[in-house]
Amino acid sequence: MPSSEGLRRGSKVSERLKRLLAIVPYVVRHPGVELAELERLFHIPEEALVEDLNLLFLSGLPPYSPGDLIDVEIQDGRVWIRMADYFSRPLRLTRAEALALYLRGTALAATPGVPDAPALTSALGKLADALGPETLGALPERTSAARGGREAAALEVLRRAAAEHRRVRIEYFAASSAEITTREIDPEEIFTALGNWYVAAFDHRSGEERLFRADRVRTVEETGETFEPRGLHGAGRPLYSPTVRDVDVRLILAPEARWVAEYYETRGQVEREDGSLEVVLPTTHLEWVERLVLRLAGAVRVLEPEELKDRVRELARRTQEPYR
Amino acid sequence: MHPLERLVNLVALLLEAERPLTFEDIRERMHEAYDQTDPDTAKRMFERDKGICRDLGIPIEVVPDPWEVEHAYTIRPERYYLPEIAFTPEEISALFVAAHAGREGSPAEEAVRKLLSGAEGGILAGVHGFAIATDDASDAVLTQAAEAVAGERRVAFTYRTARGEEGRREVDAYGLAVRGSSWYLVGRDLARGEIRSFRLSRVTSDIEDLGEGSAPPPGFRASDHVHVGPWGPGEARERARIALSPRVAWWATKGIAEAETVAVRDDGWVEVEVPIAPDLALAAWVLSFGPDAVVLGPEELRAEVVRRLEAVLAEL
Repeated sequence: MPSSEGLRRGSKVSERLKRLLAIVPYVVRHPGVELAELERLFHIPEEALVEDLNLLFLSGLPPYSPGDLIDVEIQDGRVWIRMADYFSRPLRLTRAEALALYLRGTALAATPGVPDAPALTSALGKLADALGPETLGALPERTSAARGGREAAALEVLRRAAAEHRRVRIEYFAASSAEITTREIDPEEIFTALGNWYVAAFDHRSGEERLFRADRVRTVEETGETFEPRGLHGAGRPLYSPTVRDVDVRLILAPEARWVAEYYETRGQVEREDGSLEVVLPTTHLEWVERLVLRLAGAVRVLEPEELKDRVRELARRTQEPYR
Repeated sequence: MHPLERLVNLVALLLEAERPLTFEDIRERMHEAYDQTDPDTAKRMFERDKGICRDLGIPIEVVPDPWEVEHAYTIRPERYYLPEIAFTPEEISALFVAAHAGREGSPAEEAVRKLLSGAEGGILAGVHGFAIATDDASDAVLTQAAEAVAGERRVAFTYRTARGEEGRREVDAYGLAVRGSSWYLVGRDLARGEIRSFRLSRVTSDIEDLGEGSAPPPGFRASDHVHVGPWGPGEARERARIALSPRVAWWATKGIAEAETVAVRDDGWVEVEVPIAPDLALAAWVLSFGPDAVVLGPEELRAEVVRRLEAVLAEL
């Protein structure tokens, strides 16, 4: 638990003023709101919130006699603020804030499978109208979403299963092994990253926590069982996590294949004189790397392991067959 | 007096004062705040506070006082207060989710916090259990690009192509397009004389403002200029026919709006048609499925796949 001294140092006074000028209008208009709700809405630890509210209690208008001060009451985890009519409405959005919110909203609304997309689109319309052209300029009519991203039919069922803690049985195409498998999973969180939807779940087949790509879930059905959530969180964590069974694959990437080093978790990057890049790609399965090598045909050279070379040779020959 | 307390008092005073106040007025009314014996020290502290407020967007205005040498300060309520926006509970929940859909600490989060007060309670009840991971472009570059588009500016930046080549681009900013979780700046590339799209995650410098730009052509739509698909960059002119095994057919074309299923064989293999660009980049997509995808036509794509397979075998 950080000390209050630590909180004070860690948070600049301008940050605290900004936050307070947003919190006060909310509390004025929602009397008796829970501290816990404020914590989540305004992303502030309770201790820091109470500290700021206690300072607010000393503020007000001249001559600062008791009747001029802002009245803050904290009781049983709830907050009331009175005598602060002049802070009952928030400060305008800065241009940077308005732009950032507008763009994040537009990106989310454009993601296939987002349940709030219609509400979001109408909210962005109201926001643009209220802020007027002086804030967003020509941006709303100059911003558009291109088709793309993968729709996932199983998404609705998975989302409901995650919300209601229902265990499901899925048929899943694992790109790592290029196989379709059937497994029971406890889905806990559904999130989108890099244009794809993922399910963070406990996988009963491997007995481990796994990420599944929703568009690779072919069928999903409820097992009738429920589960106790383990507190898994998907968003924001790397899509690949190292395990002890990893094999180090060493590759040389030509310029047109350099994206591999950005897209996947790689290490030990060495720039080579001819503009190519040597990387180490740790992986649990070789199957997907075989296919990656095929896809990059000619733009990648496999240095290690020997087994991968054999497997690529085998795969290339099988792929050639229908063309003979 | 704690600086936070002093700042809150200053904002309240300037918002509520019946007339613009000189620093002397302010000092007199906020008696404990700027009570240093040296007036210059007190004034410096006031200037610092004023700077903090302005950085947050608090519109402290300076009004020349006709009777006195000194300036007077005021906050006009109509410039301070956010106008009322009647969001429905679903709308405000959706905005809250969107604001948090990416890297933490974005100005979008500050923006939505200001919008919350107008909402009825229970915002969190409308927030579903899913979170959204980050987009790959930095907030700073995205905001700079948006500023450029909003103001029809001419800009310059360093861009790294997919092949890893870096170079400077000068562009008249016409629009922004989003595809998947990627943002693109679309505009007239001055050196090439045509409209191009630039993926913002590949912009490796700040976006520098060069002045006024040109206006986009009539009927311009940014997303029309973002051509990304397995067929590669550039306009797709022809269609290729690909057979996909039952193992992959059900998901292989999901992300490709332009793909069309043309036949389902008795053995479960599915034949699809997808666009193909002159550079035959589609061959890479076909090869990523290994033996689960076979090119049926056109002949040049078939030949390209065969050529690439031979190249793979020769490299080993």
